[in-house]
Amino acid sequence: MTMDARTSRQIEDEAAAWLARRGGSSWTDRDTAEFDAWLAAATAHRVAFVRLESGWAGCARLKALGAGIPRGTIPARGQWAAPTPPDRAVRTAVPRTARAARLAGVLAVLAIGTAIGLGWRAWFAVEAASYATAAGEMRTIALADGSFATLGPGSVIDVRFTRRDRGVALARGEAFFTVAHDTRRPFTVAVGARRAVAVGTQFAVRRDPDEMRIVVTEGVVRLELQSAHRDAAAPSTLLTAGAVATARANSVFVRAGSVAEAERALSWRNGYLSFHDTPLAAAVAEFNRYGARPLVVGDAAVGQIRIGGNFRWSNSDAFVRLLEEGFDVRVDRQADRIVLHSR
Amino acid sequence: MSDALDSWFAREILVHEQALERYLRRCWPHRDDVHDLRQDIYVRVYEAAGKALPNAPKSFLFTTARNLMTDRLRRAKVVSIFSVGDFDGLNVLVEDVSPEREFSGRQALARLAEAFDRLPDRCREAVWLRRVEDLPQKAVAARMGVSEKTVEKHLAKGMRLMTASYYGGEAATSADATHAIDDDGCTNQQAD
Repeated sequence: MTMDARTSRQIEDEAAAWLARRGGSSWTDRDTAEFDAWLAAATAHRVAFVRLESGWAGCARLKALGAGIPRGTIPARGQWAAPTPPDRAVRTAVPRTARAARLAGVLAVLAIGTAIGLGWRAWFAVEAASYATAAGEMRTIALADGSFATLGPGSVIDVRFTRRDRGVALARGEAFFTVAHDTRRPFTVAVGARRAVAVGTQFAVRRDPDEMRIVVTEGVVRLELQSAHRDAAAPSTLLTAGAVATARANSVFVRAGSVAEAERALSWRNGYLSFHDTPLAAAVAEFNRYGARPLVVGDAAVGQIRIGGNFRWSNSDAFVRLLEEGFDVRVDRQADRIVLHSR
Repeated sequence: MSDALDSWFAREILVHEQALERYLRRCWPHRDDVHDLRQDIYVRVYEAAGKALPNAPKSFLFTTARNLMTDRLRRAKVVSIFSVGDFDGLNVLVEDVSPEREFSGRQALARLAEAFDRLPDRCREAVWLRRVEDLPQKAVAARMGVSEKTVEKHLAKGMRLMTASYYGGEAATSADATHAIDDDGCTNQQAD
């Protein structure tokens, strides 16, 4: 603009003049050359022309108004109003109340139709299924909403999806969930009276006889504990990525660590158990979740030994051999269990 | 510069004209400058898009608008207190600027019909015969009993006013209309 003395309006007028002239009967090759030169002279010319050309092309839609009008007749002003249906952008001649009533009628029909449709689907279209894994087995299940559940060994989940919510009950064991994003249908994992609620995230829930553990690796999960009193609002805790929450009967312990640490707690998904300065008693408990033949801590001293490393949970024998070789551990292999003693 | 770029420009940029004009009017203290600002913004966007098409055209358009206004304010020797005061408004989220405008369906047709009815008589006649009845301009001239040159002038005016309503905002509908009706000569270049 600063380089050009003409105003944008003058340029627009020139563009309109070219556009109108180009459609005339006297357009010559010389006009084409002149016009091209004008177009190329400045981007402002070009954009002004492109704008008018496409706007004018859009006006072809006016042809819809020509229906029923004899050729050569220029229709009187204001006659489009009546046949045009009620619309936000139109100032119609139809009285406001009539318009409102008609609109209300249409909306009511739509609403009833929608209610029947949605209601039917919400209440009756329930996706229900149960999935279980045997000891030593691990399985990933694709759920109907696009989420995935990875079941650890010896785990059971009950899935109940409706159009309004997505409910999973963890009856036993442990499961890792990759939740498909859907803000309108919260994804809830229940362990007894406790619920972990997510919208779209990744987290694992583990059920033990006396505690529940939640590990969040992505997004946010809300942990809801059912209140003893019905009226009192259920206390809830927000867990962000990296959090490991352990809920017991009367307490919730949250450790907010790094996502990497949280991932380590979930290494079972890759077939490993990961320990880092972990008391043997705790490691043994982990193995027992997954392995077939239980390990037993024979005395307190052996349970205190600290170990670290990654171990295949399907191969507790190798773990035991390593203990035997590397630590002061004596192994008593029995038919139904393996007992560890300090030497 | 190509036809592909032109159609991209119409499809991705011009459709936001109403929102853009509203934004400019809100942020810029002088209404008279809006037409001019708009052109400069279009030029910048078009030239940038000629090098590489922006991924988010709408955001790019509004960012360009904001930068241009900022540049102009910096260059201004005397800064209006109003422009400074309104400057916070520049930081609106693009998504909040306006809902998408409809370019198909009944709403768009109603908008066009309204704009058509606001055209001055002779201009309206020319637009009808040319655009709706698809008559050649020579035939339009014969029908109207005027020279083809005069038809061109009527049409040029019609194109400007109709496009302003098609893409643009309320300014075109109110100010242009009053002006348009008392000027039937279709030669005046000053519109809104």
